[in-house]
This record gives sequence, structure tokens and C-alpha cells, in this order.
Amino acid sequence: MHTLADPPTMRGRSWADLDDFQAFIDGGGMVEPGDDMPTEYRDEVFRFIEFHANSELMGGLTERDWIPHAPGLRLKQIFLAKTQDEIGHAHLLYMVAADMGVKTRTEMLEQLFDGRSRFHNVFHYQAVTWADQVAIAFLVDAAAFASQRAVFAECTYGPYKRVLKRIVAEEGFHMRHGEEMLLRLATGTPTQHEMFQAALDRWWWPAVQLFGPDSPPGDADPLIRWKIKSQRNEDLRQAYVQKYVPLLHGYGFEIPDPELRQDAEGVWRAGTIDWEPLKATMRQGGPDSKRRIATAAANWADTAWVREALEVSA
Amino acid sequence: MTLDAAERALLLALADDEHMVGARHTNWIGLGPFLEEDLAFCSIAQDELGHAIGLYEILLSDLPDSVELDKYAMLRDAADYRSCWLAEVDCSEWSDSLVRHWLYDRAEALRWGALTGCPDERVAALAIRALREEAFHLDHAERFMGRVAGADATGKIAASINRLMPLARGLWDVPAEGDPIASGFTSRPITELAAEWETLIAADLERWGADSTLPGSTVSTDQVHRTIRSEGFDAFHADLQRVILLDTSAIW
Repeated sequence: MHTLADPPTMRGRSWADLDDFQAFIDGGGMVEPGDDMPTEYRDEVFRFIEFHANSELMGGLTERDWIPHAPGLRLKQIFLAKTQDEIGHAHLLYMVAADMGVKTRTEMLEQLFDGRSRFHNVFHYQAVTWADQVAIAFLVDAAAFASQRAVFAECTYGPYKRVLKRIVAEEGFHMRHGEEMLLRLATGTPTQHEMFQAALDRWWWPAVQLFGPDSPPGDADPLIRWKIKSQRNEDLRQAYVQKYVPLLHGYGFEIPDPELRQDAEGVWRAGTIDWEPLKATMRQGGPDSKRRIATAAANWADTAWVREALEVSA
Repeated sequence: MTLDAAERALLLALADDEHMVGARHTNWIGLGPFLEEDLAFCSIAQDELGHAIGLYEILLSDLPDSVELDKYAMLRDAADYRSCWLAEVDCSEWSDSLVRHWLYDRAEALRWGALTGCPDERVAALAIRALREEAFHLDHAERFMGRVAGADATGKIAASINRLMPLARGLWDVPAEGDPIASGFTSRPITELAAEWETLIAADLERWGADSTLPGSTVSTDQVHRTIRSEGFDAFHADLQRVILLDTSAIW
């Protein structure tokens, strides 16, 4: 039986130096956990996967708030299943990260609950109404899908690529689900339309910012150099804007970007991104992420007896 | 097929129980004691909601006028629900939720089991499907309780059993319309299911070596044929309705 960290082939390889390792990567090589990978690669890839795992968990914690208020039983089932997927992604990713030997899963979780770990900026914000839940499904899941698909495309770390295959497939369903949910609000009553416009005003910029600032020039970003990322942040962001602006306009919504314009070639160009509110959010702990993390941390502490009892009875 | 009053009452009680338990389980998504349990509990919640949907559909298809399922499930007056208190109550302590899961699913297996031979084919088909899923729920509850009930040094499990057991007995409160055993709608009377459930619960605790004495049956549950809602129901109900009431003409 093989675990995620125990692939059947190519174990225990080593490289003379970083140039030798780079040549392996450039030649289409795939790194496996048993390999004697360069420390720089291990640390960078671990940080990236831990960040991804934290983001999936924080995404689940963001979406959970509105599930009890879902305006229908089937909708409740659907949003539960979606949030379950996000938690499931976190579960898989924490296992992949833990297998790298840098931190255990418990350490990663406890550092997240202690406020010492990072996650996607978008999960700092508050879901104010049910329409925010839809905005997350439509805007944020689509951005996450694009971003993760770009990682899956090349991804040189074997276990990560293997779990990304499943994650990307499920995120594709989430994106379609978001489109259906949006359609209901967009073609629904004036109340529903207004609710989504207000949610769009709150979530457009966080979704656009999910791709991060422009990547460093050339191959200065080690994640690009080592083929963890296959596309630059700004290219992914531009493709997203190009796809979602006409979709939202088509449903009669206004994008909260006064500088948004279509150039002579018909390409949609977003206005200048003001990163300062995001930086302030991250410095101050986010409008709502503090509450979510505090709730999760309190539950983690309150349920310690369960984990202890299970250990005793193991 | 027209259900008689006792048959409707029995199905409504089961539907509302499944709805309330599913909705309550939902609150654990993202907050379980470990990630694997988050995933398991969430699946159980989805199944219970699915059973509620199936039962509401049967009940609504039997009405002379068309009523939307979600409006029926969520917008009735509190007095018109027939859920039991065990299904309704807030269990924000994990030990309470786990104990409810075990008590409730022990009962569900018996309740659905008594409907698998129902002459109403819709009910029988749903019962057979539900019972397959309930086997997993019960297995989960038994395995989990089996590992923590005897090993819990904090006494939380014992405290939860003592808190919830008196409420749980209200689960067997026969509806005012009666028990539809005479018509053959169910294969076993509610009183018989209740007695077997008590035996199974006691046997579970003995097998697990749990430090708990079952509270005596003299404790009043006062659920009056499931017509009285539990403490905290109104807030819970308002939470369920928060979005759908924003615009009842909307398709959400």
C-alpha cells in the first residue's frame, strides 16, 4: 500500500547542487518526498502548500457562517457539500505538507489558530449577506480555480500535483455552482439583484487581489523557476478580469472600478489596484478573520479531550 | 394514495426530526475536533437533510394543493412542527452532539426499519435507502462513542448522556393521531421500538464501560405528543428562516 508520501517509483534521488536540480526540473522532472531535495526547494514548496491548506480551511470557515441560514434544504445540502470539499482539500494538503517533515499537521493548525500563519487575503473579509456567500462561490472560487489550475499544469512536487488533480476537479464544480447561484440572483427579484450588487461591491477587489501582486521579473520567483507555478500572477489576474467583467455586465451588474475600461483591442483593463487596504487588513488581522480564527481556536481547545480520549483508546 | 392522519403524523414527526438534526449537525462544519470528523459529521448532516426532503416530498404530494417544499419545511408556525426535543436542542458542546448522534441514530435505525415493509411504496423505498445510510451513521456513532465513552477522563460524555437521555425519551412520544400500526403502515408499535432502544442504549454503555447511569424514566419530558417546542427553538427557527424571509416570492 502506498501513501501520498510513498509513491511507487523514483525514491531517494539527490542532486550535486542547485544547478543540477534546476536542470532536472527544466527537463520535466518530478520531485518526490523520498528525494534529497534542496532545502531551498523544500522550504519554499512547503510554505506554498501550507498557505494553500490554510486558505482552504479559512475558506471553509468563511462559508460556514451562512449555511445555517440557507434558504432551502437542498441549498443547505449543496453548500454543506461545497464547504465539506474545502475542508477536505485542507485535509489533503495538510497531509502533503506534513509529509515534507517541516511541521506536523497539528503544528500547522495550532499556528493558524494562534494567528502565526498566513492564508489568502480574501478570507479576511466578512460575508455580510447570503449574496456574499454567492459572491464567494462565483468570484472567489473562480479565482481559486484559475490559480490552482495554473499550479496543477506543471507542478514539480509529485504529491502536491496528485492531490491538485482532485482539488481542481472539485473547484471546477464549485465554479459552475457559483454560476448557477449567481444566475438565480441576477434573474430573480429586485431584492436579490440589489443584494448581489452590494456583495459584488464588497468582493470584487478581494477576488482580483487573490492572484497577488505582479510576479517578480523574469524567473526571480523561485516558485516559477522550480515550476510550481506555471503562470505569472498578473497574467492570471488579467485573464480573470477579461472573463468576468463581461459576464457580470451581461447580468446587469456594475463593477466597482471607476477606471475599468476596454482598450482598442477590446481587452478589459482593470484600474490600478490599491494594495494598501489589503496590507492594512493583513496588519490588523482582517475585518472578520480574527473572529473566525478565534471561534475555530476555541473549538480546537474545547475538543482537546476528544483527541486525548481517542489517543488513550487507540 | 391518501395517507390517513396517523400515517401523516408519523411521517411528519420523522421528517421534522431529520430536518432539525441535519440542520443542527450542520453547525459543526469546520469546527469538529479534527478534520476527518468534520468531513464525517458533514456527510451525516447531508444525509439527514436528504431524508427530510424525501419525507416532505411524500407528505406534500399527498396534499390537495401545491405547496413548495422549502416553505413547508421552514415557514410553518412553531406549533405546527412535530420534531422531538432531542432533534431540536442546541448541542454546542461536542460531547452533546456526539451523544445526540448516537441516541438519535440508534432510534432512527429502528424507526426506518419499521417502515421498510410499508404498503405505501414511496415510504418503503425511502426507508430502504435511508436505512442503508443510517447503517453508516450508526457505525460511526458506535465506533466513536466506543472509543471515547470509556476513555473520557473529563466526564463530559457522562454529563451529556445525563442531560440528553430524558429529552431523548420524548422521541418515542406517540403522536396525538395515534400509532399507525393497526393499518400495517409500520411493522412495529412505537412502544415496542422504544423498549428495544432502551435495551440497546444500556447494552452499548455496558459494552463501552462508560461511567454513566441512565436517568430513570420518571423524568418528565413534557413534549405532549411532540406539540410543544423545546427551549431555544424560536431562535433556531428564526435562524433557519433568516434568508428565505427576505423575499418569499424569490427563487433562491
